[in-house]
Amino acid sequence: MNMSLWHFFTDPVLRAPAIGSMLLCMVSGLVGVLVFLRKRSLLGESLAHATYPGVTGFILLAGFLNLQEVLSGLILIGAFLSALIGYWVIDCLEKKWKVSSDASLTAVLAFFFGAGITIASVAQHQFPNLYRQMQTYLYGQAATMTDIHIVIYGVLALCVILFIAIFYKELAALLFDTPFAAATGIAHRFLEMTVFCVVVLTLVIGVRCAGVILMSAMLIAPAVSARQFTNRLSLMFVWSALFGALGGFLGIYSSVVLSQSFAGHYSVPSGPMIVLVSGSIALYALLFAPKRGLVIRYIRIAKFRAACVQENLLKAIWRLNQEGCAIDIPLLIKKIGFPSFYLRLILNRLIKQKTLYREGVFYHLTRLGIKNGARIVRLHRLWEAYLVYSLGLKIERVHKSAEEMEHILTPELEEKLTLLLDDPKKDPHQQPIPEVVR
Amino acid sequence: MSYFNPYSDTSFFGFFAVLGIRFWGFLTGKLVWSDLVSDEIQLIVLGCVALGAALVGVFLVLRRMTMLANALSHTILLGIVVAYLLSQTMTVSILILAALMTGFLTTFLTTFFNRVIKLQEDASIGLIFSTLFALGIVLLTFFSRNVHLGTELVMGNADALQKGDISIVSAVLGINLVLGLLFYYGYKITTFDPFLAKAFGFSPLAFNYLLMMQTSATAIGSFKAVGVLMVLAFLVLPPLTARLLTHRLHHMMIIAAAIGVAGAMIGVALSRHILTFCGVGLSTAGIVVIVLGCFYGVSMLIDFSRRSRYDSPIIIINRQNETDCSSR
Repeated sequence: MNMSLWHFFTDPVLRAPAIGSMLLCMVSGLVGVLVFLRKRSLLGESLAHATYPGVTGFILLAGFLNLQEVLSGLILIGAFLSALIGYWVIDCLEKKWKVSSDASLTAVLAFFFGAGITIASVAQHQFPNLYRQMQTYLYGQAATMTDIHIVIYGVLALCVILFIAIFYKELAALLFDTPFAAATGIAHRFLEMTVFCVVVLTLVIGVRCAGVILMSAMLIAPAVSARQFTNRLSLMFVWSALFGALGGFLGIYSSVVLSQSFAGHYSVPSGPMIVLVSGSIALYALLFAPKRGLVIRYIRIAKFRAACVQENLLKAIWRLNQEGCAIDIPLLIKKIGFPSFYLRLILNRLIKQKTLYREGVFYHLTRLGIKNGARIVRLHRLWEAYLVYSLGLKIERVHKSAEEMEHILTPELEEKLTLLLDDPKKDPHQQPIPEVVR
Repeated sequence: MSYFNPYSDTSFFGFFAVLGIRFWGFLTGKLVWSDLVSDEIQLIVLGCVALGAALVGVFLVLRRMTMLANALSHTILLGIVVAYLLSQTMTVSILILAALMTGFLTTFLTTFFNRVIKLQEDASIGLIFSTLFALGIVLLTFFSRNVHLGTELVMGNADALQKGDISIVSAVLGINLVLGLLFYYGYKITTFDPFLAKAFGFSPLAFNYLLMMQTSATAIGSFKAVGVLMVLAFLVLPPLTARLLTHRLHHMMIIAAAIGVAGAMIGVALSRHILTFCGVGLSTAGIVVIVLGCFYGVSMLIDFSRRSRYDSPIIIINRQNETDCSSR
């Protein structure tokens, strides 16, 4: 079968899982921002596991009472109830018994999950059908969604978006400054309860798609990715929703395509695939996001270091030029001590920047080179003058700081310093401070 | 297994009676190793798991590293799957090697994400373990063509244990006992006073890694019996219970170990009792977890009544609470 992307939105079988998981992951992206910024991402993890006894218990109950028609509703109620109990226990442990937060989260997670599995084992031999159904909630089963799920997830998405839009200001206050929120008369306890209910509701509805074990990833991954791209809360919600939806769709897409390309020999589970894709997106964002990505950060640092080296070399050449030396490579090696290969590399870069030109074995500064070199020396000496005259530091201790600051000072700062020091002609070492070359 | 199981149709107390008789038989040499029946294998395996996990868990709880243990219990699945795919066998040495690798990888990645990439700690733990777990599941279903293997790894199957499984749990228990005794002092000092430890030349970071290795060895040793997730309960619940009952480290370790083993025994007996009288074969590991949870609940109530009787608030310095003040 030929699979185009568009196919995933029109085909009656594929439509529901694709759109459904997109909507669900979008919602969990939005909700994830709330827990991520409060640094309680792992609460989602515990509560998702805590839904399992509710799920298995109510499936079993429905099996005993022959309530197959309202099964999905019952499962929702059961999951919600047991997540609430889980939260209550965590809260009690933390506040009444002063158990540390991580231990109480883990204890509740492990105990509830164990209880859920015990309940599931009741059905194992007696009701194989129910048991299979319980197992699908472990890893989720996005592939068997129907159109009704699109409606449910759509309504959920709408509610969450409306909630965030209406209470945006209050949420921002609550997330970043709870005492302020309380002081300005925001009903922060009520709001906190509502946020908590929204989180649990999303978890409960989402476990069918992603499973109790992996549901928390759907909350964390999009928020992590979104945080890399923005510093604004509003944009973070948008990015997170986008990343969530993208992860949901690509997860389903890759699961279907991979399963099909192996002609049914292997089936790739959709829930873990969604998590895997979302996790990869988050990893990509952590490494390569503009500004905050690790690799980008390192590249920026490396660029800055290279610029410093170039400026230092230019400064040295300018000084030698002032002294009237003819500048060639042996002289520079003697003065600076770079290895010859590295030195040639930087010299070539400076030539490319049109600050140097070469005549035979000698290098000469261009007009631009003279201007730039003078500026660096000027900044260096201005800073030394500032440290000594204005801050009263000892003369022999200012050189090191000036070596660093000469690369950082901006033209505005230079102007301010000039004004402050009344346009000095000499630095503390009695060296002339070069004039600004226009 | 067609041979006679002396525990069939016993009740809770009958189980212990038969156990006592058979134990005497083993001591006097009337019964030999090959006479072990499935209930006893379960008992030995779960007991070993509980004992080893309690020893490791005490330090996990005291060092507030249980969430990292939680992460490990998820990522260990990837370790098991990769080890199996590469070697196609499940020998003890391969599994322990896989455990060490996974333990190291998880700890390293979370620290790396937290310190170098500067992602907040909860998110870096959550992100890493869920992604690695998903990868493990995908690999598992992809190469084994068997989705149920995945469920078995997660849920454990104490009823399918065989004599061969005793070797790995006892190996892991041995490792935990030896390392625990050998490094007891180092663990103690790095847990309670990291700065003093540094001054004495004990690196807290190295002990963190050692502890995570031990945790992953425990997790991988017990996945067949209790599954990779429920081992968390064995790691966390007994030490938490013991913490309420004592303020001394070695008492806490002894009590936690005793609680773990008692939980395992009661769990196996209860499982047999329910099978006898209700005809339902429950997950034994799950029952042990519930029993451990009940122990914790009871000790919480004891603690609560003791506190209200003397009406003297015990001030516990809790770093977590200080940071949480803003959220209340």
